Amino acid sequence: MAKVTDIVLWDKPGEKVLLLGNHAIARGALEANIAVYAAYPGTPSSELTDTMAAVAEKAGVYMEYSTNEKVAFETALSAAWSGLRAMTAMKHVGLNVAADTFMSAVGMGVEGGFVIMVADDPSMWSSQNEQDTRVYGKFANVPVLEPSDPHEAKEMVKYAFDLSEKFKHFVILRTTTRSSHARGDVVLGELPEDIKQARRKFGKFKKDPTRFVDIPAHSRRFHPQILEKIEKIREELNNCPFNWIEGKEDAKVGIIAPGLSYAYVKEALAWLGVDDVKVLKLGTPFPVPYGLLEKFMDGLEKVLIVEELEPVVEEQVKTWAYDKGLRIPIHGKDLVPRVYEMTTRRAVTAIAKFLGIGTPINFAEIDEKYEKVSRIVPPRPPSLCPACPHRNSFFAIRKAAGPKAIFPSDIGCYTLGVLPPLKTVDTTVAMGASIGVAHGLSIATNGSLAEKEHKSGKEKQIIVATIGDSTFYHTGLPALANAIYNRSNVLIVVLDNLVTAMTGDQPNPGTGQTPHGMGRRIPIEDVAKAMGADFVAVVDPYDIKATYETVKKALQVEGVSVVVSRQVCALYKIGQMRRRGEKWPIYHVIEDKCTGCKICINAYGCPAIYWDSETKKAKVDPSMCWGCGGCVQVCPFDAFEPMKEEGE
Amino acid sequence: MREYNIVITGVGGQGILTAANLLGWAALHAGHKVRVGEVHGMSQRFGSVIAYVRFGENVYGAMVPEGKADVILSFEPVEALRYINYLKKGGLVFTNARPIPPVQVSMGLATYPTLDEMKKIVEEDFGGKFMAFDAEKLALEAGNIVTTNVVLIGALSQTPGFPLSEEEIKEVIRISVPPKTIDVNMKAFELGVKAAKEMLRL
Repeated sequence: MAKVTDIVLWDKPGEKVLLLGNHAIARGALEANIAVYAAYPGTPSSELTDTMAAVAEKAGVYMEYSTNEKVAFETALSAAWSGLRAMTAMKHVGLNVAADTFMSAVGMGVEGGFVIMVADDPSMWSSQNEQDTRVYGKFANVPVLEPSDPHEAKEMVKYAFDLSEKFKHFVILRTTTRSSHARGDVVLGELPEDIKQARRKFGKFKKDPTRFVDIPAHSRRFHPQILEKIEKIREELNNCPFNWIEGKEDAKVGIIAPGLSYAYVKEALAWLGVDDVKVLKLGTPFPVPYGLLEKFMDGLEKVLIVEELEPVVEEQVKTWAYDKGLRIPIHGKDLVPRVYEMTTRRAVTAIAKFLGIGTPINFAEIDEKYEKVSRIVPPRPPSLCPACPHRNSFFAIRKAAGPKAIFPSDIGCYTLGVLPPLKTVDTTVAMGASIGVAHGLSIATNGSLAEKEHKSGKEKQIIVATIGDSTFYHTGLPALANAIYNRSNVLIVVLDNLVTAMTGDQPNPGTGQTPHGMGRRIPIEDVAKAMGADFVAVVDPYDIKATYETVKKALQVEGVSVVVSRQVCALYKIGQMRRRGEKWPIYHVIEDKCTGCKICINAYGCPAIYWDSETKKAKVDPSMCWGCGGCVQVCPFDAFEPMKEEGE
Repeated sequence: MREYNIVITGVGGQGILTAANLLGWAALHAGHKVRVGEVHGMSQRFGSVIAYVRFGENVYGAMVPEGKADVILSFEPVEALRYINYLKKGGLVFTNARPIPPVQVSMGLATYPTLDEMKKIVEEDFGGKFMAFDAEKLALEAGNIVTTNVVLIGALSQTPGFPLSEEEIKEVIRISVPPKTIDVNMKAFELGVKAAKEMLRL
């Protein structure tokens, strides 16, 4: 098991390796001779970007962590306009951020291949909503390729670049959590000479304002052209190597399985012991190639479409069948749930119902027994890490602002501040929305300082927004400008842990360095001052008292205050220390001093501290303590102290 | 072989994804078609974690279907129970015995079931076998608590019908861990093997 970044660069065609879907896609991009890659991290897409960052220099690829998905999109798009092969990646909600450029530029097309990797998250393992990117594809008339396993994902990248170049059109490669974060056997292909020799590729932009300037006179031409292109692509996809018909040729029943659903359908059929069916495996859920569909439907008496989330394929198939006058039952979302992710169980249940047979095991019985179990299993939601600086920030904010304050927050690890005991997150909507929401709430409850009538001093509703460093640069900046410009009365605490922690410690403008070396660091406090914030301060949240006092002071100020709470991410720091073989202090409870007041548990909530119900005292799990010493500052009875022996 | 399904559970940060990846590579080296399913991102932060390792001809998706796990390998006792619906009849639950009480339990909002209660549920309601042992203690004995996952993998290798050989797994561990830690990891593996042999004799 070599390092992933080594495997992705291996010049060993034919070698079989175990790769995560996202790693396989990175390899596919290299095999396709990619030149430019730009993205903003987002689970479940992040490992693709991290892998590209790790191999870029050795492969002659320009790679950047962009500040958000829209600028990443524009960076890659411009490279594709210049004749280079370019790629951007994002999670599903990231496409919403890039959507303005995406929808407007699609008609302009590209010169070099342009692939947009979008990772959906059905069941919302790490996301704020459950949207189906295939709908975006249909909306924008951009073809969507969807792999059923990691090896296919790698192969699809190459096909996607070819398809994009052939039609000078965008192509979406859509994954889901279960394809991006699934490992599978992947057979390595050939790497091009440019990649092997780390040859950086440069492009040429050919001016054409009638194409690249979207004034209405030009854009009016685009829409019919896009529609024409997508129908030509629909034709082309009849011969796409990722679409095929399998199973019994003269079967009377058929199942259509796009993307990853194909994997579940295969397992379900084997589990059910059913082989009297024909299967249409679809690697291109949009547009569905009608020629292949016609061949598949020939002789069938009924059809089931097993697809995850929205009925994207179902609607195309039904429309086609209606126009053809085909009068056979076509099932889909009546048997397959429209919410949450596809599973083998769901596929088995839908197919069994469709065929009028029983399931191989009694799922209802398992559910019934599990229902009983789930009542005695205590919940274990994710929590802020031990030594997480955000815990201290929230603790201090809550104490200083009081329980009546409103706490809009944002997207990042710190969203976990919503959970007890911290409960310092009242709203979270989308990247950067904390500041916009804080401003709106202030206008609604206090009025603007620019208005004749507004509430201030003791009358004002206290509003404290929290936002992470990467999120601040992502979409917090325009919202901050808006709040300062329109004179609201809010405190914004930027939880600056110097990395994009939630997605795996990627750098951002606050970190400064880029994968190529040192970029230029942009201190958040400088931005806030330059924008004209009424109060700006920087604190270290490991000093809880100082943080509390600064927040208290900031709350006295009328207008927009910005407090930067800066301390490096604990998970990142501990990882670095482990690698260097360094030790950190481990704290413990002096039993005689612990009164059992539970402040450390009920107000602070460090996961390393637990309650010993026998001794009625707090205890520290030494394997989980990361040595920040926050407990010492929180305990009113001085019951915590570092142990003699240190960790790791 | 048609399919072999392992569910690995525990608390974020315990090395669950590393264990899943090691087993996946061992299965690949043994010539199987492999799928490993994971969840990344915020859901990992000290919350409940599940990973799937599957291999065999009939394996396509990355998730083990409910009622089909041959083994649940759990890094923390109650996490085995949380995913007990994956266990097949006659399947085995192999768990580290040392509990990590969730914050809700410490706050007095929930209670933590005993090992005996867990055993009863696994055996009587789900028709499986339940075995708990202190893998953390063995990891410390080997020289580093971080090797708890290797202790558990060593134990797993001894379960009846387990399709990968000890040597296949050890080889992957040898080439995966930092060279300085090979001995500690090998010792952890052996202690897991020994513990499982003793338990399975009972």
